[in-house]
Amino acid sequence: MSQPTAISQGPTDRNGRIARFLRDYYIYFVFVAVIAVLSVANLDQFTLFERGNFLNKYNIINILRVSAPLITLAGAFTLLMVSGYIDLSVGSAMSLSAVVYALLAINGVPFLPAFVATVAVGVVLGTINGFLVVRLKITPVIATLITLSLYKGIALLLVQDGVSAIKSGGGLKMPAWFNDYGREGVLLSLPMAFWVAILVTLVLIIVQKRTLIGKYAAATGGNPTAAKLSGIKTGKIVWVLYGIVGVTAALAGIARSSFMSLGDPLSGDGMELTVILVVLLGGTAFSGGEGRVSKSFVAALIIMSLTVGMLTLVPAYYQTLVIGSALLLAAASNHIVSKKGKSS
Amino acid sequence: MTISAQIPPRTEFTRRRLGDEAFITLLVVLAAVALFLTASLLVPNFFQLQNMINLVTNNWAVISLGVGVTFLLVSGNFDLSVGGVVALSGVLSVWFAQSAGGANALSTGLGMPYFLAIACALLGAMAIGGLNALFVVRFGVPSIIVTLGTMMVARGIAQVITHGSQRNTNLPEEFGVLGNLYMFGTSVKLPVVLMILLILIAVFIEKKTVFGRKTYWIGANAVAATLSGIDRAKHITYLYLFSSAIAGVVGILLASEFKSGFSNRGMLMEFDALVIALLGGVAIAGGFGSVVGMFFGAIILAVVTSAATGLVLSPDWQFTLKAIAVFLAIVVQTWALARRNR
Repeated sequence: MSQPTAISQGPTDRNGRIARFLRDYYIYFVFVAVIAVLSVANLDQFTLFERGNFLNKYNIINILRVSAPLITLAGAFTLLMVSGYIDLSVGSAMSLSAVVYALLAINGVPFLPAFVATVAVGVVLGTINGFLVVRLKITPVIATLITLSLYKGIALLLVQDGVSAIKSGGGLKMPAWFNDYGREGVLLSLPMAFWVAILVTLVLIIVQKRTLIGKYAAATGGNPTAAKLSGIKTGKIVWVLYGIVGVTAALAGIARSSFMSLGDPLSGDGMELTVILVVLLGGTAFSGGEGRVSKSFVAALIIMSLTVGMLTLVPAYYQTLVIGSALLLAAASNHIVSKKGKSS
Repeated sequence: MTISAQIPPRTEFTRRRLGDEAFITLLVVLAAVALFLTASLLVPNFFQLQNMINLVTNNWAVISLGVGVTFLLVSGNFDLSVGGVVALSGVLSVWFAQSAGGANALSTGLGMPYFLAIACALLGAMAIGGLNALFVVRFGVPSIIVTLGTMMVARGIAQVITHGSQRNTNLPEEFGVLGNLYMFGTSVKLPVVLMILLILIAVFIEKKTVFGRKTYWIGANAVAATLSGIDRAKHITYLYLFSSAIAGVVGILLASEFKSGFSNRGMLMEFDALVIALLGGVAIAGGFGSVVGMFFGAIILAVVTSAATGLVLSPDWQFTLKAIAVFLAIVVQTWALARRNR
């Protein structure tokens, strides 16, 4: 019996290794494949991208510029989901931050104070989520659904009736510097917002790999009871993670608001779905315990390349369908690969 | 073996559990009545029969969706796809019914007879329910992610068919009948009557049939339910098909009422359906809640939003009010149950 076992063990072992290799690195192959398809596809006949091919300097700069909010959010959201929690309010928190930032700027507050104040607002928003989930023990989905509605409502109330967004007009004028953060190239013709996004991602990669918060987040998501019994203050960890997500939502809001040069109370609508899609695509388990900030970063680049690149291939009204299908496929393949499938 | 041996005796435990549910439902009803009376004091012309009728009839779509969502929540699953399905089935019914020769792409349909068209649209809606069930039951993906995905898929298909806007030309004469049919010479339309029938049937299924009780057992303890021989996969599949069929009918009726298939119709209805179920005391973890509670949850939301409009608050207040209402409902219900069972 030993011989057949040895023979059959070979391929299974190799299969196992291939499966593991695929699971660990598939996101990079997907990235290359998406870029390859978008570069090869002929774009010349479409008027949207008169500059030519996908992989030209201006297009890359454009994609990276508009990716800043998503990249900023993806890392923190990954850590939160690794710990087994979720924040559906990120889109609304982003809208609210965008409105607050624009309001401060238009009323004459200089860049740095406005920036810091908005980030502080983000901390507060994240802390409220943490309070509802950790202290009041409301299910994360419901708690953040409540704040989704709340933050969006406040953002709408901050913008006066009859106006759709905070912008120049009615005696107030957006300051000239407002656009710079999200648009003006500072390094490699990429704007500040993008470099902040990269910085946030790098910091969170280090947090995940080298600090206790990262280890504790994975422990909390992998087995909350065991984590609690081994002395980890899971509640505190979750609270901190919600706070970090709040900060990144504020940064994303500032980036979006500065890029569009207005404070739109609906600018973050649907962002929570895009972030979830990105994080799941990056291989993070919905039930918590595993996931990598670095992979979510690549997944964010994939989704942004797809959404921008797709505009040159199909009409804009295909976007919801494509993103929805991608969300389903990412979620399903995640759960089939990790075989951690549990219903509900 | 006598029959009485098969029926478990009414122990202290079963009586108490059912009691909790009735208690919460009563709490919700009282809250709805109290809110209505408060609003009547504050808002002029609020305390009128027509206004009470309007509170129900204006919300027939969300209440109908709430029935399917409530059953799924009780079984421990989300259904956030219903809003997308409303848009999909409405757009499909229009596309199928539009006559084949039109001036441009948006006025050219498949030219089916009306009743075939709505039957096919309903099938299309139920396909989304089947997709939900496939991913949730077969692949074991968390239902919130699946149904958010299928919501986007359903709305995405609707957007592709309508090119992101709407189809409303070249429709047969009978298309606008169903959604605008006044019943018994009153101002009540057919969809409202269907909603009331649906609620009656749902309450019967929930309280009096094995199917209804199985839903509770699955939600309360899925493992125990499976071990005691309940086919969980089949049951949840039925529930998803049931919910998407309701959403499909709602979509068809709305399309008929407005004589158009609009790809953004039903936007955020999935959240409203979830919100009224939560306001009505349905537990997010499953195994607890009732259709009657959901109905009065909808009344609470309707009273709050219409009173806010009556007090000349800006419509922007609705999101904030919804958030506060759900928050209070959850905190009060948790507190009341904890106090009662102390």
